[in-house]
Amino acid sequence: MNESVFVVVPIYNEERVIRSALQPLLEQGYSVVAVDDGSADKTWQIIRSLPIYSLRHAVNLGQGAALQTGMTFALEHGARFIVHFDADGQHSVDDIKTLLEPLRKGEADVVLGSRFLRKSDRDVVPRARRLLLKGGVVVNGLLTGVWLTDAHNGCRAMTRDSAKKIRLNENRFAHASEILIQIRRNRLRFVEMPTTIIYTDHSIAKGQSMWNAIKIVFDMILRRIFR
Amino acid sequence: MRPVQFILIVLLLLLTYVYFSRLRSGLLDRVIVLVFAAIGIVMTVIPDFTTTVANFIGVGRGVDLFFYLAILGLAFMCLLLYSKIRDLEASITDLTRTVATKGARSPDKKDDEHTD
Repeated sequence: MNESVFVVVPIYNEERVIRSALQPLLEQGYSVVAVDDGSADKTWQIIRSLPIYSLRHAVNLGQGAALQTGMTFALEHGARFIVHFDADGQHSVDDIKTLLEPLRKGEADVVLGSRFLRKSDRDVVPRARRLLLKGGVVVNGLLTGVWLTDAHNGCRAMTRDSAKKIRLNENRFAHASEILIQIRRNRLRFVEMPTTIIYTDHSIAKGQSMWNAIKIVFDMILRRIFR
Repeated sequence: MRPVQFILIVLLLLLTYVYFSRLRSGLLDRVIVLVFAAIGIVMTVIPDFTTTVANFIGVGRGVDLFFYLAILGLAFMCLLLYSKIRDLEASITDLTRTVATKGARSPDKKDDEHTD
């Protein structure tokens, strides 16, 4: 049953953690689409030897571009549900089941993960990160009209039909806000579901910094100017 | 003619020459460049002319007027270049995506076909 669930994992320079991040997905029987976004390390050699769909961008384009490549590929290979999942080991595989529930019941078209819905998830978010994310919530709300409890949570799930309607043009990290804009534009029904973020030194280093946040907002504003 | 006028005119002509010899462009682009070069030469030869125009719209000196216009022009150029870069990025993305999809590996295929 899980075979028709395609988990798209964008990967950039993750040779050290990628195997252990992908393993639990395989154990659950999900179809995994790993997109190596032009990594300079051994990521590609590792993922191509695993029993998964593996694709490689010849040059580094950004997470949004890798997600779009994976989504297009998954749709072509008969995905019923598409899940976005980060490669740095910060997401818990068990959460995918939670995300899929509203989709399977037909209650939503897109499900967005949030680390602020359960107290146990909320409490592990480092203070500085929390501030940044809440700032992101406000910026997203103002720019996209979609008000959530979390920003830039890489864990999402959607039905085949909604995946067809979503087209990420934002190559870098502004794609997370772009998805919200397209959810609104296509009138897709969305809900937030609780997800756990596992904070390790590695996932914190890979996460968003203040500087990145500024660049994201800049990207979004420019996108508004240039159509 | 003052030396500075001579230098400016030579540089302007050089710029125009480089444009026409190195860049392939449409007829409209060529006309625009020629018009701008002509305006530039007129402004260099008769500086008082720009001052007259400047005074007419409430700017003290012709040089100042030129300065304001130049800044606006440069900002406009930056935006144009930026949107070109975005277009380029979009084509590179399409290209990369196509190549990635063509070279995709399936779960059932073992890593034995070719090594690259």
